Amino acid sequence: MIVGEQKSLEEILGLLGDAKKVLVAGCGTCVTVCFAGGEKEVGILSSALRMKSELDGHPIAVDEVTVQRQCEWEYIDPLKERLAEYDVVLSLACGIGVQAMNERFPNIITLPGINTTSLSLPVEQGVWEERCQACGDCVLGITFGICPIARCSKQLMNGPCGGSQNGVCEVDPSIPCAWQLIWDRANMFGQMERLLEVQPPKNWGQSRDGGPRKIVREDLRLTERE
Amino acid sequence: MDSSTFEPKILALCCRHCAYAAADLAGAMRIRYPTSIRIVEVPCTGRVEAVELLHAFEEGVDGVMVAG
Repeated sequence: MIVGEQKSLEEILGLLGDAKKVLVAGCGTCVTVCFAGGEKEVGILSSALRMKSELDGHPIAVDEVTVQRQCEWEYIDPLKERLAEYDVVLSLACGIGVQAMNERFPNIITLPGINTTSLSLPVEQGVWEERCQACGDCVLGITFGICPIARCSKQLMNGPCGGSQNGVCEVDPSIPCAWQLIWDRANMFGQMERLLEVQPPKNWGQSRDGGPRKIVREDLRLTERE
Repeated sequence: MDSSTFEPKILALCCRHCAYAAADLAGAMRIRYPTSIRIVEVPCTGRVEAVELLHAFEEGVDGVMVAG
């Protein structure tokens, strides 16, 4: 899932500047299940903003709303009517949601209230570990289901490197060496020879290096191509 | 405010199965407690969310007691 972390109250207040009336907008999907920007967090942050701004002598009127998904037009369109009464929107959605709001409602600024951090797996309650970097050219099929792009600090396609010690990464001992995990898993299946094939440099053109990515599915489009 | 006369307003969120029953019993026994304490019965204190504590502070209480 997309995972985020709420920004500090100080940073958020700095972003809000002189705004007198703010709508805090949560998202009911990814950031709800990672406890960063769902209805609950909207309520807590809004309450905190009201109290802090009051204590600071510049009270801000804060209203709350949470939509099912801020990254789809049909879910945010119903907000249009009520936005006119606000100076600014503080979105607790991921960066996609914040941009969707700004694109759909260009006459009002939507600010980010969280930092979108990663595509992560909730390995246990309260712990999210990065598992995917959306590189656009999935290699899990040749790495026994463990991603060296997301989980190897160097994103090596042939590993491990000399910094792998006792199964952990030299960058931080709390990081398991992805290539150790890959070799262990290959060994488990008795297929270590498959890892002896040297992988060529990865095509990063399908990742961010090729610029912003876009998928167009003509079979799904409702409008004729121009 | 003079600290010697300050009487904090306290919201007590009490579980109906224990703390609220105790408060009931205290009432039946005519035991007095300050009027600045307001008791709200909740089905279970596990139901109490952080946002409710914040709302209580927003409404002007000085402290919240969650008893259950």
